[in-house]
Amino acid sequence: MKALILSEGVDDPMEPIRKEEFDDQACGSQAPKSKPCPRPKPGEAAGGCSFDGAQITLLPIMDAAHLVHGPVACAGNSWESRGSLSSGPTLSQYGFATDLSNNDIIFGGEKKLKDSIDYIAGRFAPPAIFVYATCVTALIGEDMDAVCKEASGRLGIPVVPVNGPGFVGSKNLGNRLAGDALLQYVIGTGEPEQETPLGVNLIGEYNIAGEMWEIEKLMNQAGITLLSRITGDARYKEITWAHRAKANMVVCSRALLGLAKQMESKYGIPYFEGSFYGAKETTYSLRQMAYLLNDREMERRVDRLTEREENRLSHDLRPYRKILKGKKAVLYTGGVKSWSVISALKELGIQVVGVGTNKSSDEDVQRIADRVSDDTEYIPEGGASRIIKTVRERKADIMIAGGRNMYVAMKEQIPFVDINQERHKAYAGYEGLLRLAKELVDSLDNPIWRLASSPAPWDKEDSYDR
Amino acid sequence: MTVKRRSKPVSVNPLKIGQSLGGILAMQGCYRAMPIVHGSQGCSAFPKALLTRHFREPIAVQTSALQEMDVIFDANRNLEEAINAVLSKHRPDIIGIIGTELTDVAGVDYQSMLKSYKRERNMRGGLAFSVTLPDFRGSLESGFSVTVEAMIDELIQQAGLRGQRNVNSRQITLLPGSYLTPGDVMELKEIVSSFGFEVIALPDISTSLSGHLLTGFSPLTRGGVPLDSMLQSLQSGLTIAFGSSMERPARRLHNALGTPYKVFQSTMGLKASDELFHFLHQISGVPVPIRYCWQRENLLDCMLDAHFQFAGMSAVAALEPDHICSVSSWLEELGVEQKALVTSCETTAVAEMERDVWVGDLDDAEVLGSGADLLISSSHGMAGAERIGAAHLPAGFPIWNELGSYMNVSVGYRGAMEWTNKAGNQLMRREAEHRESSIRHR
Ligand code: SF4
Repeated sequence: MKALILSEGVDDPMEPIRKEEFDDQACGSQAPKSKPCPRPKPGEAAGGCSFDGAQITLLPIMDAAHLVHGPVACAGNSWESRGSLSSGPTLSQYGFATDLSNNDIIFGGEKKLKDSIDYIAGRFAPPAIFVYATCVTALIGEDMDAVCKEASGRLGIPVVPVNGPGFVGSKNLGNRLAGDALLQYVIGTGEPEQETPLGVNLIGEYNIAGEMWEIEKLMNQAGITLLSRITGDARYKEITWAHRAKANMVVCSRALLGLAKQMESKYGIPYFEGSFYGAKETTYSLRQMAYLLNDREMERRVDRLTEREENRLSHDLRPYRKILKGKKAVLYTGGVKSWSVISALKELGIQVVGVGTNKSSDEDVQRIADRVSDDTEYIPEGGASRIIKTVRERKADIMIAGGRNMYVAMKEQIPFVDINQERHKAYAGYEGLLRLAKELVDSLDNPIWRLASSPAPWDKEDSYDR
Repeated sequence: MTVKRRSKPVSVNPLKIGQSLGGILAMQGCYRAMPIVHGSQGCSAFPKALLTRHFREPIAVQTSALQEMDVIFDANRNLEEAINAVLSKHRPDIIGIIGTELTDVAGVDYQSMLKSYKRERNMRGGLAFSVTLPDFRGSLESGFSVTVEAMIDELIQQAGLRGQRNVNSRQITLLPGSYLTPGDVMELKEIVSSFGFEVIALPDISTSLSGHLLTGFSPLTRGGVPLDSMLQSLQSGLTIAFGSSMERPARRLHNALGTPYKVFQSTMGLKASDELFHFLHQISGVPVPIRYCWQRENLLDCMLDAHFQFAGMSAVAALEPDHICSVSSWLEELGVEQKALVTSCETTAVAEMERDVWVGDLDDAEVLGSGADLLISSSHGMAGAERIGAAHLPAGFPIWNELGSYMNVSVGYRGAMEWTNKAGNQLMRREAEHRESSIRHR
């Protein structure tokens, strides 16, 4: 069908995006060779470790147990910190840690790991256990793979080692290592209950604030089956049969592109990269799915659905657009989300005057460039001070960033909308864009900005007038 | 009485927060400070995120960003780079190097590295020290107190005091334990100064993490005790420590400078408050200010009103060691049955308690506290409280399910009253919910 509307800045939608050869060595995934994963700078670094990244990817497998092998802090400081929602099982919200002590570290923690796995299997009967390496267990050379393998055989449930200790690199690398673990130990080990000719996997969508449900609803309306959720609100079993999908969509997550790429070469599943932020991107993504499923009837249905939704949305958005038009925003998110959120903001009439490209690959930067105007400032790196400077210099009205920077913005009395992991509002899909518009208006219009910027009455007067 | 452990190979729903986070927290109470965590990125990113979530404030912290090869070859090169970057970019007054399990297991000697760094760069005027806080020992509490101890050591060195000094008998150094909120520290400062003393809190999170706009955002800490006040604190005539974990830093001051000290182990409830006020009255000769006499009346009246609510009730608490001592003595006064007390690690204070204490996790609290009406713990205990049908009272660290918890006051008469009302209200609400659901089911 040639009636497809080109989504702005996106390459020909008839062609799945896959430009360069996948570079195994680079961080994230398809990062261009010119820009390898930079070493974090001591004294200037921010952001999580690979273990963190691996957890982010796998924790949304809600019915599995996630056991952290190491001293307690890696688990203790991180459990229950993600806004990934579950529609049922909650075992993944339990914090499990082998909690190694001094002695365990001297004499080895493998025995403790084995006992821990047995205990969890016995008491919680999970369908699978993921075991995460951390710096210390990697440093002392624990053979986690062997312990997992042995336990798996003995207990009759998959026990999956995830080898992404913090010190191997960034959060992004951790995402990718988690993807590797899925590919090596999970995908292809099960079969769906019934065959689905129109099944699609979503890769790299974590159901933050329930966004997955929004997307699933749209897919259902179009008659597309969501075969495996990798991994938002997933059950372990559904990931085992991910190889039976007819198409993969990588949702705003470069790091898991490697997973899609390898599923293509191993199982012949085509993939594309897309986003659900903004109506245009949503429409594009649904169309791309229909196209890859290669079903004419489906394509027509998607067209009807997206047209109806877009019309309704543009009607509902009218009052918000009036307020938001011409407003300026500075955007500071992880590398990939930047470009997809820009589209959403543009649709609302907001001008992005500054954008963080800290974690972006050259390709991400290209996509950002396609979506912003020429005088947008790129913020290559640097902490909060740098972002604030941009906000001030470009006279931005609002800052859109991750929760880490929320209170930084509050100190500077800058209206703020949280776009990352910890937020509580779903911005995906057509409904999501409406919600985002409302959130932006509520934040900009809040009386606090006036109150906070006016001094106390006694500070206003120059001197007491006798 | 005794410290017990349930036999279980794995920690389920950890109560323990790493030591290094305690170190980072202590540094937040100093003005223009920067803790540098000597470890991999995650070891500073996780605590930063967690502290931000609890205090709803930006948190100053940096990392030496170790990667695998750095650990194996030369971890200190990273540290040097980190110190250089922090010094040239932010010019902090105070730097605290916090060693992690990673540097500990790898056997990195950053203490002597720091010493030679200071010598070579001729670093004067500022304060730079290091602590070793691997997360497989101790807990948040010990990390906090060890850091304060190291800070004090460095102050004494810096001032070059050898026993002799000008003692200011009207000045008191407060050493508030890690379980006290900024609101608590503020209350304690007010109480002590209301008896006519100059007070220097070390560290002082009451002015750094209590929420203020001051001069906007800074990558360094804003508020907190400034370095010159810290140095001045060495002239204090007395040290008052809150929480047994702060006894060691107090003893440091005593051993080096001869400053006498007093430790208040419990800070919650009528009896604990009475002790504090009586002590202050005695050492100052000043009558207890009238507002505190009123507060005492208010507390007693509130306890009378609430005793119907608490009669026959039982509670389980899972908190850091010093905190559990305090909370336990408050529960005692309310006549609440203490089904179980769970803490993150064993300390002398805990071992000397008159009740059994379990060292364990939140799962232990859930199991041992089954049937309890009230579960007192960080926000991590919320889900467990729901599972056993208990009301949940957020306390300790981290709390993310209520606004302004960092300003809660638990110390003094006012604090005891606030807690009593809050706990009573939670129980009342739970009762109402039960009633409602039983009506619906009929
Ligand atoms: S960097 Fe290593 S030790 Fe630190 S939190 Fe990450 S995995 Fe744990």
